[in-house]
Amino acid sequence: MTEHGEQREVFLGRVRAALGHTQTIVPDEPPAVDEALVRLATHDDDLITMFCDRAASVGMHVDRITADELVDQIVAKLVELDAKWIVVGFDSLDQADALNNAIEAADIQIVNWLAGGATMDVQFDTDVGVTDVHAALAETGSLICNVDAKHSRGLSLIPPVHIAIVGARQILPDMLDYFATQHDATGIALPSSQAIISGPSKTADIEGQLVTGVHGPGKVFVYVVEDV
Amino acid sequence: MSASTTSLTLKGHDILFPPLPYDMHARADLATGDDQLQRFINNATLSKDLQRREVCAQTFGDNYDAMRSLAAEIKQHTLDHLDHYLEQFVDAATGTGAHVHFAATAQQANEICVGIAKREKLTQCVKSKSMVTEEMRLVPALVKVGVEVVETDLGEFIIQIDDDAPSHIVAPMIHKDRTAVARAFERELGSPYTENPQELTQIARNHLREKYRTADLGICGANFLVARTGSAVICTNEGNGRLCTSVPRVQVAIVGIEKLVPDMNHLAVLLKLLARSSLGQPITVYNHIMTGPKRKHELDGPEQMHIILVDNGRTEILREETREMLRCIRCGACLNACPVYRKLGGHAYGAVYSGPIGALITPMFKGLDKYPDLPHASSLCGACYEACPVKINIPKYLIQLRAQMVRRRITKWPDRLFYGLWGMSLRHPATYRFGGWVQKQMFRAKARAAGTAGRGDRYTDRGWLSKAPGPLAGWTRARDLPTPPSNSFRYWWKMRS
Repeated sequence: MTEHGEQREVFLGRVRAALGHTQTIVPDEPPAVDEALVRLATHDDDLITMFCDRAASVGMHVDRITADELVDQIVAKLVELDAKWIVVGFDSLDQADALNNAIEAADIQIVNWLAGGATMDVQFDTDVGVTDVHAALAETGSLICNVDAKHSRGLSLIPPVHIAIVGARQILPDMLDYFATQHDATGIALPSSQAIISGPSKTADIEGQLVTGVHGPGKVFVYVVEDV
Repeated sequence: MSASTTSLTLKGHDILFPPLPYDMHARADLATGDDQLQRFINNATLSKDLQRREVCAQTFGDNYDAMRSLAAEIKQHTLDHLDHYLEQFVDAATGTGAHVHFAATAQQANEICVGIAKREKLTQCVKSKSMVTEEMRLVPALVKVGVEVVETDLGEFIIQIDDDAPSHIVAPMIHKDRTAVARAFERELGSPYTENPQELTQIARNHLREKYRTADLGICGANFLVARTGSAVICTNEGNGRLCTSVPRVQVAIVGIEKLVPDMNHLAVLLKLLARSSLGQPITVYNHIMTGPKRKHELDGPEQMHIILVDNGRTEILREETREMLRCIRCGACLNACPVYRKLGGHAYGAVYSGPIGALITPMFKGLDKYPDLPHASSLCGACYEACPVKINIPKYLIQLRAQMVRRRITKWPDRLFYGLWGMSLRHPATYRFGGWVQKQMFRAKARAAGTAGRGDRYTDRGWLSKAPGPLAGWTRARDLPTPPSNSFRYWWKMRS
């Protein structure tokens, strides 16, 4: 579909001409990515500690907990934050039902966005988004939040506070390891949206002074469940 | 009023589109005389440059150079086979349900974007920072057809409401102070006057969140396009990029064709260098990898994703001799490292791209005869080359542009004559000796006439010039030039043996 633009062939023709090609030449392999240079963490590292340290150093609040503590810890945090209205997306957790029940027992209202109740518009009014993650990176202390049928684009982005639950086994050493999982899945489309998140939203545009929470969440709490 | 002083009265984005040919001297003089600008830009660029070096050394150690070589190789390979990777990207992106458009020029790219807005009856746009949309002057084109466009990057937002223009690729309002922000917010948003950056940011947040909520069009650029998967990647610290590409019904990504990388592992290499080079931080807070619009079973996300691939002069630079310039990933490290940018700021370059990379690509995009000062706006010290994560040899290409200016007679005739004679005199010992003798006699005569010769000690009795002729005039603006000594180096050398 072209609106007013050029036809694909005309456009590509100019590129080929600049390259001195009469037709598209398929190159041999692209440059090999030398892991000795690029890799910044391996499976031999203490991934949980590395993840926690680096996530903390980019400004996220990190706690290491056990699966038994999870429900109490999350509810305590929500109470501490004085959350009234939250959105959740942690379907993959074993404790999902227990957590939902405990949150509601604490008089915090969960907006059920899976049932269509929390459109993006509604998410702007919520206090907290609580999510699981698809993976985490030790190298940079990053959370990876992807979109699928059970995960909204908004939960880790729109509410002013994001609480993320990370299973220890989800922590991958390096970005290369995460991208490799996608490499194997040739033929299977990537998620429409993948967010690699490393810290709270921040800016230093006004005289170089660091301010957090400019558009996205100003606070990110990460619970690393060590025995999951 | 001369063309160069006319450029001083421009407002808003017109600052980046001055009358051509552009003479940078008026703005350069203004910038060097502005104490606050000097302090701000000097501090910000020095600290960013230091952070880059520290963080890269700490992360990559002895591998830093090899890492940059790998990144350079990846980008160069992609450009060498850009026809293939573009085809691969277009097929993959189309397969994910995105609409890919092709724009030969800025005007065509604007027409495509305006066409989408009209057809879909879109009226409210949130936009994240994108250099190519600055090239295109997209915002006024959309406003003209009734679309309200809000820049959402905090710096760009402030610049938009204060009718200013960005002056740094990464930190667009590096030249502005907090009082300017405070006044603009009070005037344009009706907020109570405050100079506290935290409070100012909160005011902007509240204002912009309502804009995101109701916007039906989200416009972004892309830091990278991944050929194999058809993905577009944007990197922001603020989260505005993610909001612009998640909330509105229609998403338009406008991207220059040089942004391609072959695959995800290549993306990893560049992501590991981008934020470290740019800001001295390991990674930007949000790296958003977008592969097509919302899928059928997903509950939110844009219903339409359009990708406009923009040429706008890039295929000219893609020729073998200059291809390397297109490796640029717009990290801004060369601006931070540059002693000239540090003194002049971005507006003096009179174009969308400033600093060393701007001095190089602006004449390439717009014509060397339109920006004759830019290839000379460099001390050729090589700091930009050293800072560049994809090893673009900026000094080498600046020298090539200068040579082209002489060949194409863009350099003015008095300069050509002076340097021509100088070159001739350096070519043979006899002419060199004669040239030196003439220079000594002329300078001595001038010194005697000015009354500076013939008094004082052995260093001062030969006199000095307070105002040297021709191209040396700039040198004597702030200091005196001693006349040549009686005994030349050649004389000493002869006496030694």
